[in-house]
Amino acid sequence: MSKFIQELVNGLTQGGLYALVALGYSMVYGVLKLLNFAHGDLYMVGAFVGYFVLQWFGGPTALVVPVPIVLACMFLISGVGVGGLGVAIERFAYRPLRDAPRIAPLITALGVSFLLENTMLLLFGASYRDYNTSAFIPFSTGIHIGGVNIWIVQIMVIVLSVALMFGLERIVTRTQLGRQMRAVATDREAAEMLGINVDYTISATFFLGSSLAGVAGVMAGLAFNNIYTLMGFILGLKAFTAAVVGGIGSIPGAMLGGFLIGLAEAFITGYVSSTYSNLIVFGILIAFMILRPTGLLGKVQLQKV
Amino acid sequence: MKVRISLAALAVTALVAAGCGSSNSTTTTSAATSATGTSTQAAASGGGSGSCAASIGIEAPLTGQVAVLGQEQLAFAKLAIADDNKANGTNITLVQGDTQLMPAQATTVTQQFISNNKIVGVVGPAGSQEVEAVGPLFGRAGLAFISGSATNPTLTTSGKNPTFFRTVSRDDVQGPQDAAFIVKHLHPKALMIVDDQEVYSTGLVSSMIPVFQKAGIKVDHESVSQKVTDFSSLVAKVTPDTTVVVLPWQVAANAQQFGKNLAEQKKNATIVGTDGTFSPSAFTTAGSYVSSFGPDITAIPADASIVTAAKAAFPKFGTFGPPIYAATHVLDEAIAAACKSGTPSRDNVLSAVKQTSEGTSILGQPIHFDTKGDLIDAKWFLFKINQQGKYTLVTGS
Repeated sequence: MSKFIQELVNGLTQGGLYALVALGYSMVYGVLKLLNFAHGDLYMVGAFVGYFVLQWFGGPTALVVPVPIVLACMFLISGVGVGGLGVAIERFAYRPLRDAPRIAPLITALGVSFLLENTMLLLFGASYRDYNTSAFIPFSTGIHIGGVNIWIVQIMVIVLSVALMFGLERIVTRTQLGRQMRAVATDREAAEMLGINVDYTISATFFLGSSLAGVAGVMAGLAFNNIYTLMGFILGLKAFTAAVVGGIGSIPGAMLGGFLIGLAEAFITGYVSSTYSNLIVFGILIAFMILRPTGLLGKVQLQKV
Repeated sequence: MKVRISLAALAVTALVAAGCGSSNSTTTTSAATSATGTSTQAAASGGGSGSCAASIGIEAPLTGQVAVLGQEQLAFAKLAIADDNKANGTNITLVQGDTQLMPAQATTVTQQFISNNKIVGVVGPAGSQEVEAVGPLFGRAGLAFISGSATNPTLTTSGKNPTFFRTVSRDDVQGPQDAAFIVKHLHPKALMIVDDQEVYSTGLVSSMIPVFQKAGIKVDHESVSQKVTDFSSLVAKVTPDTTVVVLPWQVAANAQQFGKNLAEQKKNATIVGTDGTFSPSAFTTAGSYVSSFGPDITAIPADASIVTAAKAAFPKFGTFGPPIYAATHVLDEAIAAACKSGTPSRDNVLSAVKQTSEGTSILGQPIHFDTKGDLIDAKWFLFKINQQGKYTLVTGS
């Protein structure tokens, strides 16, 4: 039983990160019908921003202010900074191609992904950087009952990701901006004719999605320590899988998909073999693409002819 | 609009190519760059003024996940060339090729090296999977290449890599000796062994498992990608009986994270890493063991001057640099010998490499190759990481 609970927590921790990144994929796809392959790299940039904020406060072994303040600053600066970067990417790389054939922004998204990875490589080098979280948040903090050891950082990642997801859900369903986003996602031209500022709405969508990726990057650094410039690639693929499984374009679907993929990975590793983890996860992606392309919570798009 | 799209696509392609082809080395000229992320660059590395002029290529992961390893190898190759140019009066230059430890990129770099007539020998590539990919190409070109870290036995036994040599021991030396040490000194009832899905790692695993099984140890063989950075799910499988976890990996930082995941879940298993995890700066989990094909040259008195120069060039070097110094030195001497009988060509450099006979080397042992390209009497070393994260030699044979 303790192994089951341990794997459940491990899966929820990883799944929370997948879900946060999947939300960005889903939101952008919702408003632009664009698969933003650079999204995983925004997560990487977020992890680096968090790392440098941590260093600015004295580094993991010599923090000059209380840990909660450091964490708040890491999340806030990374969220806002990466959100801003997402807006800039949309403005300069995707907006000029908004009316171009779909393949053009798709290729551009791949280009932006390489650009981000290699720019970070040039600026900060290829070496792994270590958050060394246990130096300022000891492993002894958290829940330790029997064979179950849940570090407080894992709890924080799960709680914060769920809170952010529900916060985003409320923004989308209960606010003026959310209504605009849904209108643009449904029919951009009609939304424009109704007086909605489409450019602003799309920028806001990119800001929110990118912010979540930035925060997820910091969480990954805190929970898993090692960060490097190519870390966004594989996570981006898994998050994309989560978005497809949940139903790309659907916010609750992205959350559900993220947690499902995280849990699937953890339980396959724990009860079958780590050897088959990626095989099964990407097998799930292929199965959904074939059997249920709209995902678990996606809607069938009716097309007028 | 079409013009705008084309311009945008061109701009992005150019930016990607520029980014991918970058390197933080101190180079003078760029020979070629490709959009696939590989580049070769010629560096004037201590070129002498002699008339014996030639180039050596180095294939190493200069960027990417294990760039630390590649940069250490590059630093030691430069040192060897500078030392040998001075000693022999040669004018050997180094041409850099970044492989990122990926066979596909190593293949691209290899084709560039083969088409560069000035290159008469190559050091690297670093990984067994890369040697597997490029060996036949070098063989057809008659170009000698010497790796300082590719340890898979089949590289020399398969017959597919006729111009391949290495200055390190094979996995079937390192693997069984690591396994024997674990059986004899750590006495596990059960152990977990995790490969990182690369040729290097799977080769070592397959050489170790029979030793464990023969000793009656229950083995849980797992497999994770090098790109994974969280091992908490895997660590949850470590049972109380599993007192040893063997990690024959190439990314030392991942072994460090595995150690942290063990601590996080209050598991007391001892990690045993292989040469890929040898990194006093990245893997410092107290109580762990790390084996290596290379010695700690700081403990070899005859290497004092090299150690001083190496510390200036790459302060936190481990055991990946010295075998590359030895490999580069073999090529330097082969070029110098070829010059004595005319102009250095790929053929006569290859011939001279085969006849290498060095009584001693930076590795504290003679350098002679057998007919397959393996180092005769290659040694193996095992270190323990103490509470301060320092590596102390346990055994060397």
